[in-house]
Amino acid sequence: MRNNEIVSYSLRLFIITFSVALILAVGNHITADRIEQLTIQLQNDARKSVLPEAADFDEVPLEGLGRGEYKLVNSVYEGKNEGATVGYCVNVVPKGFGGAIDIMVGVDIKGKITGIKIISSSETAGLGSKAERPEFLQQYIGKSTANTLKVIKNATPKDDEIEAISGATVTSNAVTDGVNAAAQLVNEKILKVKGE
Amino acid sequence: MGIAKEFSKGLFEENPTLVQLVGMCPTLAITTSVTNGIGMGLSTTAVLIGSNVAISLLRKFVPSKIRIPAFVVIIAGFVTLIEMLIKAYFPALSKSLGIYIPLIVVNCIILARAEAFAYKYDVVKSAADGLGMGLGFTLALILISSVREVLGNGTLLGVQLFGENFQPALIMILTPGGFLTLGTILGIKNWLAARKKGVSPDA
Repeated sequence: MRNNEIVSYSLRLFIITFSVALILAVGNHITADRIEQLTIQLQNDARKSVLPEAADFDEVPLEGLGRGEYKLVNSVYEGKNEGATVGYCVNVVPKGFGGAIDIMVGVDIKGKITGIKIISSSETAGLGSKAERPEFLQQYIGKSTANTLKVIKNATPKDDEIEAISGATVTSNAVTDGVNAAAQLVNEKILKVKGE
Repeated sequence: MGIAKEFSKGLFEENPTLVQLVGMCPTLAITTSVTNGIGMGLSTTAVLIGSNVAISLLRKFVPSKIRIPAFVVIIAGFVTLIEMLIKAYFPALSKSLGIYIPLIVVNCIILARAEAFAYKYDVVKSAADGLGMGLGFTLALILISSVREVLGNGTLLGVQLFGENFQPALIMILTPGGFLTLGTILGIKNWLAARKKGVSPDA
């Protein structure tokens, strides 16, 4: 009797877990392609919004760019308009307060930051999430990639300074680290090499 | 008890957040703005109705000795499936609710209702219970997050309430503010309940 009970319980639990796994597998099969497409679409839209001058984007292989030096960099795309390179889009993933922050940074061929967009983040709502607001991101536009940006608090920011979001220093630092990494990569590896 | 009663008990006299004190972790974490509160409350309601119905349907099949692992598997499966569907078909919704959905798995309101209600009652009553408890949770979240957003950020639903000179008390949208607000609201609620009964609050 006891053995029967054990067998019956195990079997029922197995049926439940198996059915749930099966349902999830089917669900994943149906949705995976769409989710992937939407993610690609999202990245594309982000690239367009940070580098509005470009019409097409080609991926630049990271291998030749010294990947180890730029740990935060995820991917680099070259933005083109009618065959001519107009700038670069760098996807960086710095670590914020609530995990990775997915950021797209646009840089033109003169080495100026043209735009920055936060694709996704899990920063504290009402605090770190303010980093997604244009008022904060606006600060980065037009900065030169030749300089490293610094985060400051309670002061009027000078040329290479970014005013932190109050209460969200970690997030402000993370976004700035990401932008710095993107700027450094474009400045040191792409623009300099091409310029020579 | 009738269906209406099963529904309405979750709103007030058995409110999950303010009376049963379950699901405190997401309550404290996400009540920094009213939009968050509504988002989390409604997505929890959807999952709660679904998991209550599923567990009520399976209650004859699941022996009581293995009910907890069975509930956990069903709830986690449910949440994951909903997350995948929302991501694939409602990307805009997924962008605003994305961070709450995985949190629902660890919300013990879901497991508590499965254990205390859905496992014992039929499908219709369980669905009504899920809807009531979910909306009760939503109402409590709106109450707490209104206090925190107004005091801590000077806004309500993102709309600026005060002039430029208002300095919001940042602590209210930080974690300690969650404890302060929840504690104060519980205190007021208990004081009112005691007064209604005609007992002095000290007794």
